[in-house]
Amino acid sequence: MSQTKNHVPGEVGIWVFILGDMLVFGLFFLVFVYYRGLDVELYRQSQAALNQHYGAFNTLLLLASSWFVVMAVENARAASGKQAAKLFSLALLCGAGFGAVKFIEYSEKLAAGITITSNDFFMYYYIFTGLHLLHVVIGMGVLTFLIIKARSPQFQASDMVLVESGASFWHLVDLLWIILFPLLYLMK
Amino acid sequence: MNTKSQLLCAWCGIAFLVLFTIGWVFLARFLPPPSPALSANEVAAIYQQNTGAIRFGLMLAMIAGGLTAPWVAVIANQMKRIEGDSPVLTYTMLVAGAAGILVLVLPVMAWTVAAFRPDRDPELIMLLNDFGWIFFVMTFSPFFVQNMVIGLAIFADKSDAPVFPRWLGYFNIWVAILLVPGGLITFFKTGPFAWDGIIAFWLPLVIFFGWFLVMFQVLLKNIKQQALAA
Repeated sequence: MSQTKNHVPGEVGIWVFILGDMLVFGLFFLVFVYYRGLDVELYRQSQAALNQHYGAFNTLLLLASSWFVVMAVENARAASGKQAAKLFSLALLCGAGFGAVKFIEYSEKLAAGITITSNDFFMYYYIFTGLHLLHVVIGMGVLTFLIIKARSPQFQASDMVLVESGASFWHLVDLLWIILFPLLYLMK
Repeated sequence: MNTKSQLLCAWCGIAFLVLFTIGWVFLARFLPPPSPALSANEVAAIYQQNTGAIRFGLMLAMIAGGLTAPWVAVIANQMKRIEGDSPVLTYTMLVAGAAGILVLVLPVMAWTVAAFRPDRDPELIMLLNDFGWIFFVMTFSPFFVQNMVIGLAIFADKSDAPVFPRWLGYFNIWVAILLVPGGLITFFKTGPFAWDGIIAFWLPLVIFFGWFLVMFQVLLKNIKQQALAA
């Protein structure tokens, strides 16, 4: 693995996907802010129905998971695959926790009669958090793949490209949530 | 090596873009789309005021649709170089691409039927207009499958001199995913997820057109390299 100053993590192609995805979510966020500006009062009232504790707890879970992934990559680089697999598993656990909290949150909203058609705010809430949750699920698949890779006795330096690509995707999942959380739950 | 036929097929993709743009955008003036929130009379008025240009423009758009057949074939031909004698992803791409032609042509025909008798009951004009737009914007599934399998085939290429660059695989999967929001238009008459909305319509449209240009560049390069290697 080259450790030069200009090192791009993972294979270059994954960045086509990551930057493309960020571009699209960026557009989503602009659309949300634009339509919010047309009817701020409705968005404020609807936002009050969200449980900020769930959102904040999920933010902590994803931040922790990203930290585990960073340490896992460090370990993988130092060729201690077993340790890397453990850390990736912890990140995976955080992802599962995120999904569980989201499940509870959706269930509460639906039980209270709040659905995707309730109003514009909740339309964005369900579609954006739903799409993000899809990223979390895909990311968990990626982490599982990395755990299997890192555990294998044949784990070697050339696998680092895979490890870095997968880790970069997981950081994207985290990053998108870090913007989504204040936008939906906190913006006054 | 059938370099000339391959080049012809690749250029058909560009011909599709040009012809479809002339007919559908400039003559029929279907861009920007009419809002799904319009009343029946407002919709009927569009077809009544611009009848001749809509008929002629849609005829060109219909012709353009057929040009995607050779385009799909040349992509399949390059994919087959990856897959060899068990080209399942290539076959999937071909079948999905063939269905894609219909997704382009059928809505054009629904709008044509609306423009055929523009003085009929506005409710019926609106029905045909709805049918055309919903068919055109919502039907992402064949294109999704098409882009997905191109991406998967590129990732499966383990040779030392891959047919396509790997970033093109990521690009195709990204495109596939971005066509999906079209599926949401069934729920909305206004806003970003309606059939004239920025996320359900404009984003997939721009990306679908952009996909042709990106694929075209890479295909030209591939065909030339193939000719040199032969």
